[in-house]
Amino acid sequence: MAAALPVRSVTASRARRRHRLRVLAFMSPWLIGFALFFAYPLAATVYFSFYRYNLFQLTPIGLTNYRFLFKDPYAWQAIKNTLWLVVVMVPLRVLFGLGLAQLLSKIKRGGSILRSIFYLPFLIPPVAATVAFVFVVNPGTGPINGLAAKIGIHLPDWFNDPTWTKPGLTLLALWGIGDVMIILLASLLDVPKSLYEAAAIDGANAWQQFRRITLPTISPVLMFSAVTGVIQTLQYFTQAMVAANASQGNADQAGTTTAPGYPDGASLTFPQTLYNEGFQQFNMGYACVLALVLFVVAMFFTLVLLRQFHAFGDDD
Amino acid sequence: MAGTTVATPRIPARRAPAPRGSRGRNRRFLYWVATHAIAIALALMFLAPLIFMFLTAVMSGNETLSGGLWPRSWHWGNFGTALTTDNGVMLHWLLNTLIYAVLATVFMLVSSIPVAYALARFRFRGRKLAFVLVITTMMLPPQVTIVPMYIMWARFHLTGTLWPLIIPMLFGDAFSIFLLRQFLMTIPKEYADAARVDGCGELRTMLRVILPMARPAIAAVALFQFFYAWNDYFGPLIYTKPESWTLAVGLSTFRAAHHVEWNLTMAATLLTVLPVIIVFFLAQRVFIQGVTLTGVKG
Amino acid sequence: MSRRPWRLIAALVITAAATACTAGNQSPADSGPKAEAPQTIEVWHGWSASHEVKAFEDAIAGFHRLHPNITVKLVKGQDDTKILNAIRSGNPPDVVSSFSTNNVGQFCSSGALQDLTPYLKKDKVDMAMFPKAVQDYTQYKGDRCTMPLLADDYALYTNKALMKGNQPPKTISELTALAKKLTVRGADGTIKVAGFLPSVTYYEHVPEHLATTSFGGQYLNAQGRANFATDPAFTKYLQWEKSLIDWYGYDNVKKFVHSMGQEFEASNPFEKGKVAMAIDGEWRTKFMEDEAPKVQYDTTPTPVDDARQNTYGGGFVTGTIIGIPRGAKHAQASWEFVKYLTTDTDALVTFANGLGNVPSTIPALASPNLKLPAQFKTFLDVFKNPNSTTIPSTINGGDFVVKFQSFVQDQWEPGKVPDLQKGLQGLDKKVNDSLQLAGG
Repeated sequence: MAAALPVRSVTASRARRRHRLRVLAFMSPWLIGFALFFAYPLAATVYFSFYRYNLFQLTPIGLTNYRFLFKDPYAWQAIKNTLWLVVVMVPLRVLFGLGLAQLLSKIKRGGSILRSIFYLPFLIPPVAATVAFVFVVNPGTGPINGLAAKIGIHLPDWFNDPTWTKPGLTLLALWGIGDVMIILLASLLDVPKSLYEAAAIDGANAWQQFRRITLPTISPVLMFSAVTGVIQTLQYFTQAMVAANASQGNADQAGTTTAPGYPDGASLTFPQTLYNEGFQQFNMGYACVLALVLFVVAMFFTLVLLRQFHAFGDDD
Repeated sequence: MAGTTVATPRIPARRAPAPRGSRGRNRRFLYWVATHAIAIALALMFLAPLIFMFLTAVMSGNETLSGGLWPRSWHWGNFGTALTTDNGVMLHWLLNTLIYAVLATVFMLVSSIPVAYALARFRFRGRKLAFVLVITTMMLPPQVTIVPMYIMWARFHLTGTLWPLIIPMLFGDAFSIFLLRQFLMTIPKEYADAARVDGCGELRTMLRVILPMARPAIAAVALFQFFYAWNDYFGPLIYTKPESWTLAVGLSTFRAAHHVEWNLTMAATLLTVLPVIIVFFLAQRVFIQGVTLTGVKG
Repeated sequence: MSRRPWRLIAALVITAAATACTAGNQSPADSGPKAEAPQTIEVWHGWSASHEVKAFEDAIAGFHRLHPNITVKLVKGQDDTKILNAIRSGNPPDVVSSFSTNNVGQFCSSGALQDLTPYLKKDKVDMAMFPKAVQDYTQYKGDRCTMPLLADDYALYTNKALMKGNQPPKTISELTALAKKLTVRGADGTIKVAGFLPSVTYYEHVPEHLATTSFGGQYLNAQGRANFATDPAFTKYLQWEKSLIDWYGYDNVKKFVHSMGQEFEASNPFEKGKVAMAIDGEWRTKFMEDEAPKVQYDTTPTPVDDARQNTYGGGFVTGTIIGIPRGAKHAQASWEFVKYLTTDTDALVTFANGLGNVPSTIPALASPNLKLPAQFKTFLDVFKNPNSTTIPSTINGGDFVVKFQSFVQDQWEPGKVPDLQKGLQGLDKKVNDSLQLAGG
């Protein structure tokens, strides 16, 4: 755009100013949004973290909120659960997504129908998907556990048993594999065919082709899926919360409050702890500390992502 | 950077050099049977929860508790009951959801397109930084800033309504900006230059020349935004009160309110899912193209 | 990018910060329209069953005659979370009522509900019309931000047919023996009819209804700190509770609890004849009348620990509270409504009759118009009994109850606590840490 034309400097500076104004005009929604809905709240989060605040009274309490973090049984339970999900659910999702994508890339006729079927559960509103899933696998009346029992397999009491809650949530996440699968499928189909043809001529078998050609070519996309998977897991909220509520059922009476993360804290995630402290207990100052912890961890993984993709940026 | 993947994944006619002889053909046939059998079995498993959801939704109340798989009698009225229970509260949730989703989508488009255009087309100092910040805000969990945001909206007396979720969309949505920018980068500069030579201003160039070319991407972000709002649980849970509940929040309380009436709960769930399924099948291409756009290659 | 945008951003941030710090401070006690002006007030309450909703409407009929200018809009089925959210949103209803006294400390200390003292003084309301315990659970450290609207207390319900001629138990050992004797099991050990289900997951068998009433446990010590490990009553309660659960088999209890119906519907297991004895609130008498009129039952005070037989006759006492949120737009009219509903004998008696609740003023308790089933007398007696207990108010509401409940339900009952004393010490620490965080 700024092709250097031999113009007088006055015109040039006027043009520059025009250009700046134009940039500013186009960018303004985001600039304002960034300031109002990101920079300011982030700064305010730091500010409130030194206060006791229940939306009515603001009391400075120094580092008390930070100290409580180390004593907070819910936060540690949530961190443990999140780690579990990062270590088990994220890799399983990437592997399963890759497997499905690989399978779909091999199927010619009917491939698009299958692709739609595999993608569909991802689109189902998470609340609806979770309520439905909790129902179909509930051991008393759920059709899936019922069906399994008929052929002699006794499936666990998924969302009422602390041991099986996270595996249950993992199954639910595998059902909604659509996003990972589509991205991986696209990248699989992008691998140049000539590479496979050359390998086949060299006598490489399917596994060798996968190992030597497919994997190296798609590894950045795998990495992308894994890192975004981790970031998604850090904000994992809806499914865990809805599964707990839906399976708890009868403990939902007016006036009674229950400990978060039913059963026995097994479904408690970090954002849920934040929600519970900030919006149930109204320890808003402490909730800000939790938010900052989440910020630091999420920022770390975002930086990993940005580095890997060189900020997605070309400044040619 | 590397190119972005814009192509719709099409099933390619990849043909490996055929192994000769009947042994090879047999093996290929077995391979074909195996892959298809696995794929079909998996597809059935993926559909099973939806099928059971439907079958349960048309059962009688008692039958859902007996653990039967196939309804003995079909109660289509359950859908009507789910819609009209508690004075038609579900219709009210639906209306709220539509208000949220439509306004959020329109606002997002109006605000995000110019930003994406600027990031893709203009050269200016800080462009790279701005883009990095867009990605950062897109990646960071919404919970990070929720406490001060809530406090801010409470001060403006807007908590209890859907406005805290809608108004920010007037100021650009990071994910949409990112996705649009990625698409706009793939449109050759020459088109815009030609328009400019014809004397179009930048705004007109954007509206008349570039946007029509970016229609698939715009459709994709609009759909994503619409579905994001439709599916959003955290936002409405924080901000709304019962009068402004959306389907997502309402549905999560449905089970507690109707306890063992699983048929009604499933009917309500299915009614929430149905629009999504319909739109998906109508606009499948747009969706899959859009998702693919997010998966950037290194 | 030129420097200008950054200046713009800075300006915006400052504006945002400034508005956030100055906007919207709340109304003083006597703002808004006068009580005589025509207006509509919105009243949130927790009742949901149709006879309950009707009882409320009947109770306020007199209010409409007294204040024809005030229209009352009742909103049913609300709970504390919704109430607190509405108040914090700055857009609260005019009057809120809650079944639970757990959050009175939080309501009062945070200013979420207005201190009613100025109104009480202005209208010269004599607080002596309320029994002592009732006065206590509606205030926090002298801040009276709620008024009592009917009371609840708890006693033992026994199903006459399932009791097979046995007298209702008075002590824990009698209760235990009968619970075992009256239980009917299937061939595989599953519970068909339970004598008495000690699990805290059974609706009203939450720890506060047994551990304090029957065993005499004190939740908080004199310093307002958790007392679970230091008060031996809790250990005694837990050991009794667990041994009876183990007799049933933990899995059988769990299965029974998961399959039982809903507490406030006809599917309730006591109404269905699936349990012989259960601790429940006085309102169950009304539900029995409406939903299970054929079931013959008795009520007697909650059985007590054998070592505390002198305290027999008391029970757990609590009540519905009602208050005016900070930021309510029709505070004056709201006060008229609250005053009428909590002090007018006719209103209270009508309401108590309709709900099957205990009226919360001394004149209403003595009213000849109270028309309640014979079984209700037990509850009136328990209410007046000096050994009756309630729950202490803390700054973070029922947090200690929630934590104790979750300890019992998730750790103790499934047998995950090898050393009870250590477990309770850990519990005390968690409760105290949270109290400290909230500023208690």
